[in-house]
Amino acid sequence: MSATPNGTLANGNGSAGGYKWHNKYPHLGTGPVPADVFTSQEQFELERERIFKKVWLNVGRVERIPNPGDYFVQDLAVCNTSVIVVRGKDGAVRAFHNMCSHRGNKIAWDQGGTCQNFTCKFHGWSYGLDGRLKFVPDEESFFDLKKETLGMTPVAVDVWEGFIFVNVDPNPTETLPEYLGDLATGLKGYPFGEFSTTSTSWTSEVNANWKVIKDAFQEVYHIAFLHKRSIPDSFTSKNNPYAHSLDVTLYPRHGSMSLFGSADYKPSPVAKLAAQHGEIVIRSDFSMDGLPAGVNPLRSEAWSLDLNVIFPAFFVDVSQGSYFTHQFMPIGVDKTLWTSTQYYTQATTPGRRFSQEYGNVMFRDIIMEDGRTFEETQSVLSSGAKKEFYLHDEEILIRHSHHVIDKMLKGQPVDAAFAANGKEAASHA
Amino acid sequence: MPETRLPEQFRDLEQWMAWSLETEGERSDHRQASAMEDITAFYEAMLARMDEVLPYLEQFNLEELPDDARHLFYLTLSLAEVAPAVEQFGQPSVVDGYDIKRFVATHR
Repeated sequence: MSATPNGTLANGNGSAGGYKWHNKYPHLGTGPVPADVFTSQEQFELERERIFKKVWLNVGRVERIPNPGDYFVQDLAVCNTSVIVVRGKDGAVRAFHNMCSHRGNKIAWDQGGTCQNFTCKFHGWSYGLDGRLKFVPDEESFFDLKKETLGMTPVAVDVWEGFIFVNVDPNPTETLPEYLGDLATGLKGYPFGEFSTTSTSWTSEVNANWKVIKDAFQEVYHIAFLHKRSIPDSFTSKNNPYAHSLDVTLYPRHGSMSLFGSADYKPSPVAKLAAQHGEIVIRSDFSMDGLPAGVNPLRSEAWSLDLNVIFPAFFVDVSQGSYFTHQFMPIGVDKTLWTSTQYYTQATTPGRRFSQEYGNVMFRDIIMEDGRTFEETQSVLSSGAKKEFYLHDEEILIRHSHHVIDKMLKGQPVDAAFAANGKEAASHA
Repeated sequence: MPETRLPEQFRDLEQWMAWSLETEGERSDHRQASAMEDITAFYEAMLARMDEVLPYLEQFNLEELPDDARHLFYLTLSLAEVAPAVEQFGQPSVVDGYDIKRFVATHR
């Protein structure tokens, strides 16, 4: 993205504070986003090599593999690989490239399960849960085979708050805690484990660039329009008709946005029933006791939820009583695996389960509204009719995201861009 | 094979047994395949009884629902399923929505 001069404040943006987020993060500028970043194969190949093969990527949660021998497979087309994530006999979570040392066949063809060994279906080479090559059929007929050097190739793996991340870089330049940085610190204490005893998850292969999808979920300017039927009065009000957010915090690569929730929200009859029996996102009686500092950071009474966008494409959106995630895993420049998951505390009563089902269905139907834009947008992006796109002040997470991607593709450091308080470092100017 | 029944005081809801479906996928498919007038009639019939249905169900643990109560419980989940169709969209599917058949539930 080319650098552009900062916009004049004289015009304002309709809110009392002028360009609120631009004023907080002026170094991001006010310029447009080039249109070809969503369609260029060259850009996509650079994203593959310089971003996705270098950073920590979420692949799931620990609840999926509670016991030794439990494993799941995560295909990472954008990293040209597939990864096996397995809990070992010692209880440790390990990850390996899902590829046999013999002639490269994919070892696990399924999505997951429980096993004692991983045995390649092609010629029966067998690996332990720790990746060690244990058995080679008719080994005597090979030449100088050094089994101790022919285990499954490990992939760096670490766990944050129950979220399993992998990094396919053979020598990651930073640890997962370093990568997550202050965003993780701010969420410390949020009961992710307690809220993750049950989940509902959907997935879809979308014919759109991963950034088209990501960008749709990292702004709320669209709420008053795209969601006018599903949530007409939850995130907007008479005094905040365009869902201006409460707060924005940018990290070197990640970003958080704290969202407004309207006290004037009028629940539908079924929403009212659901609220009597469990947790729903918009409520007036939430308690701020015990909320980590990074959740509802302004301690606003008019809060609904926070978006936490973990670079490059994993969202952990937290509210009072439940949270949800979005993940956008690129398959190609115009193909992406979209996964959204809603997490709950396991219901023990029918009423609570009914309440969760309502939350579930509403969440699904709302993101169906979002989903329609992805392919509609992608289908005309390659026309070349538009060379650039214009961002609203409330779309600052998008601006920041493209800024970070641009820097990484150019091989420029992003870490020094902000001090911990979100101010631009002097060196950047 | 015994006929599927609801608890005695809710037998008036037995005309809606087609909505007694265990999984979200089944309930969503049934919503998408139903006419709006049928969805609305089911919604209104259920909503009118929910003040009695939920307290009745709440006397049981979720994992220990007797068969007749379990079918009644599935009807409440179908009410949750059709609620947006009636309350938000005025049609079975999400207005201007993504193709829900391509949004695959990986849970039950």
